[in-house]
Amino acid sequence: MTIPFTHHDWAAVLPVSIVAVTALVVLIADFFAGRDGQRYVSIVIGLLGTVAAGYFAARQFGHNYDAFFGGFMVGGFATVFQEIILIAAAGSLILYAKVGAPQRVAGMTAIMLWSACGAMLMAGAANLMMIFLGLELLSLGLYALCATVDRKTARESALKYLILSSTATGFLVFGFGLLFGATGSIRLSDLVNPGVTVTPYYWIGAGMFLIGIVFKLSLVPFHTWTPDVFEGAPLPVTAFMSVATKAGTLAVFARFIYAAVPPQAADDLLLPVWIVAGISMIAGNVGMLAQENLKRLLGYSGVAQIGYILTALAGGTPMGLRYALYYLVAYAFMNLGAFAVAAAISGDDEEGALVENYRGLGRRRPWLAAAMTVFLLALAGLPPTAGFLGKILILSSSVSSGYIWLGALLIVGTAISLYAYAKVIRVMYARDEGEALEFRPFVPLAWASAAICAFFVIAMTFYPLTPSNVLPLVR
Amino acid sequence: MALVPITILLPLLVGALLYALPRSDRALSRVIGTAVAVATFAMLIAERDAQWSVRWLSRPFTAAFHFGTTPVALWIALLLALCTACAIATTRVARTRDFVALLLMLEGTMLGLFLARDLLVFALFWDLMLLPVFFGLLNWGEHPTTAWRYFIYNFAGGLTLLLATAAFGVIYGSTDVIGRGGAPLIGTWAPWIFAGFAFAFLVKTPVWPLHTWMPPTYSGLPAPMVSVVSAVQSKAGLYGFLAIVVPLLPNYLREYALPLMVLGAVSLIYGAVVALVQNDAKRVVAYSSLSHLGLIVIAIASMNPLALKGALVYIVAHGLFSAALFMILGYVEEREETRSLLRLGGLGSKNPRLAGALCIAALAALGLPGLAGFVGELVILIGVYQAGYTWPVVVALIAIVLAAAYLIRLYQDIMNGPEVEDVPIRADLSWLEGLAVAPLLLALVVLGVDPAPLLRL
Repeated sequence: MTIPFTHHDWAAVLPVSIVAVTALVVLIADFFAGRDGQRYVSIVIGLLGTVAAGYFAARQFGHNYDAFFGGFMVGGFATVFQEIILIAAAGSLILYAKVGAPQRVAGMTAIMLWSACGAMLMAGAANLMMIFLGLELLSLGLYALCATVDRKTARESALKYLILSSTATGFLVFGFGLLFGATGSIRLSDLVNPGVTVTPYYWIGAGMFLIGIVFKLSLVPFHTWTPDVFEGAPLPVTAFMSVATKAGTLAVFARFIYAAVPPQAADDLLLPVWIVAGISMIAGNVGMLAQENLKRLLGYSGVAQIGYILTALAGGTPMGLRYALYYLVAYAFMNLGAFAVAAAISGDDEEGALVENYRGLGRRRPWLAAAMTVFLLALAGLPPTAGFLGKILILSSSVSSGYIWLGALLIVGTAISLYAYAKVIRVMYARDEGEALEFRPFVPLAWASAAICAFFVIAMTFYPLTPSNVLPLVR
Repeated sequence: MALVPITILLPLLVGALLYALPRSDRALSRVIGTAVAVATFAMLIAERDAQWSVRWLSRPFTAAFHFGTTPVALWIALLLALCTACAIATTRVARTRDFVALLLMLEGTMLGLFLARDLLVFALFWDLMLLPVFFGLLNWGEHPTTAWRYFIYNFAGGLTLLLATAAFGVIYGSTDVIGRGGAPLIGTWAPWIFAGFAFAFLVKTPVWPLHTWMPPTYSGLPAPMVSVVSAVQSKAGLYGFLAIVVPLLPNYLREYALPLMVLGAVSLIYGAVVALVQNDAKRVVAYSSLSHLGLIVIAIASMNPLALKGALVYIVAHGLFSAALFMILGYVEEREETRSLLRLGGLGSKNPRLAGALCIAALAALGLPGLAGFVGELVILIGVYQAGYTWPVVVALIAIVLAAAYLIRLYQDIMNGPEVEDVPIRADLSWLEGLAVAPLLLALVVLGVDPAPLLRL
């Protein structure tokens, strides 16, 4: 039997392969690392692997071709998403410097990297099989990762995620089957021309596919699992899930709406998604108001933030995709930064997850508090942060695509969210410091991660880097 | 020249660097703060016509970090630098270093707002200038709820401004429009854009019924900060009308002149009546601000050139006398540990300098001829009348009579009458305090006698 793939096909998945191999190296190196160095050996190897993968992924930017018989597309669109996922992976596994038992760090790092592989496959996936492969690889790793601490909530989180996510996958796969039945092809680019007419099978299939996607993006009404899972999962895993899963799923969704929806059906088919996005912006932000736990708060916040990103995609304009990407990158840095600060003040029992534990941070750790303020302001969309510019770009996209009602909902949602974010800021700088939390010793990696994220969150305001030639590469 | 961005960055940077001083520092941070504010004042005068621009966005619309002065902006910026310098010079609140740092950042963000020639930069600084006041209210205010109310109200305004700016940019193609005098915007979206701007500006001014954040904010903030906020930050909305709405959306301003005038007139009367019955001295001045700024809203809504000139004069005059009033009331409160008009009384005989300063400021506020407030009121009233609106003029005249009543009541209850037993009489204005108020009062007199530089624009 001959393998029908050429070296072009293998080159296409080079970044993914590098990440996968890095995970193996992490596991092997762990055998040789001493007890003291265990933690750092895994983290450093993991970081080097993501950097190398990021380098090779960046070299693919602009060199577009199909690999694996149209199953995987290399080039601008996939590159941008892969870089975001790699940033998420690096920014999350760096947090193991602070959180998690040392003897488990290698295993957790490896699983996280494999999950990242799945998300990276989703970024380039151009047929239904590849989407499924990437999604399952991503999710399988996450089920395990959620349960990697000895905590009741962690087990609950893992089980909840497993059951609900599998349900969503069920929808997705059923949708795939119907789409294949309706069009006779699993390639996204073939779905654009579904035979003579858009058949009911196509509608049902696409609908189920979108339900699966909406679930994975944790939009209303399928968002209720998010805060629970976020709360229970270990801090680095929460950070990873909040960015990488959403980036991977958004890549699939964006490719679907730009490349696979027949123009005559686009408005009707996608309108429910935009409505759901609009409701999410309100519901997510309202949900944030009462939260006492930072992980839950950011879980709800993510619901709303994905709504903002979908606002940019509404209408399917080329500009919209660019602004969605800009905001996604900004969102990645804000979220990873916030989690880095949480990790920096946490020990194994994750005190940094509780809002109350930030009391007095402004006086005792002024730099950490300043960084956290930047991230929260960015999430709220206040200047001088990328969140502000991102909102402007999304709003202008919603004006030019005619979905201004989404822009108006974004404004309302932002106004609500401000209270929740500012509440954390207030706790940090409050005069009454209450019972002082014992702050953990300085860990350079977590601090460095927070500082880098803060830098990008501010710098992206002044140099709005939106890759211009992304859209041609979607189809 | 790059002096314009330096003018904005200097207070911001020095404000941040002040945190490097020891936490207990008082004198040095005050000296540095005052020096920086004076330096910005000098730089503004030196760079009257300078502009500076760097490209920011080229899509979906062009935007630039474009700074420079328009005549209106220059006057307000000068007012800002002056008020900041005077306010910092006599700051005596707890944690002086942090407070001065906030005041400097407040100055920097507001300079950015007034010197911005790009709408998007304007919107950016609009949100940014809320933060120092928010932190000021949280840390030095009387109740944290006030801080929230201030922030949520004004941020809501900031968000509609943002949406309007985005829509404006997409339709107009550029946001680099302030002081350019381009073609006015018309079309389906234009009324909505106008509504977005108007809402933000009216919340900030504020105008009844959007004013409820204002009295607690003004009475809760320490005197040095509230003098800057009431003098200058409240002018951001009016400046927005003058710099953005009047040149770019004049049709809709004309169309909605009547509702705006009604809002202005209601504020004018409502503010005056409420000021008449307040017993908290700072609240009296806060409501008087509501009343006075209502007059400026009427002036702007009339779109008459003379009234618009009067609006600028009155913006500057109101800035000067409200800053002076709040600072003097701050001195009174520091001395007597109360600002209740029911408790105070009879300070005048032992504190002649304090009484004199309050007297001049109050007279300017009630529009005594010879002081700047009078010029503003008179020119506005003539302009509005010229534009064919009689009833707002009548309403304004009633409010001016009421203004005399509440300001004289304010002065009398503090300074005149028998000395109150349990309120100690403390030392009169020190030379430093006198020096801090003097420029404001002097400017009121100078501009009152010779308003030509303001009217010539």
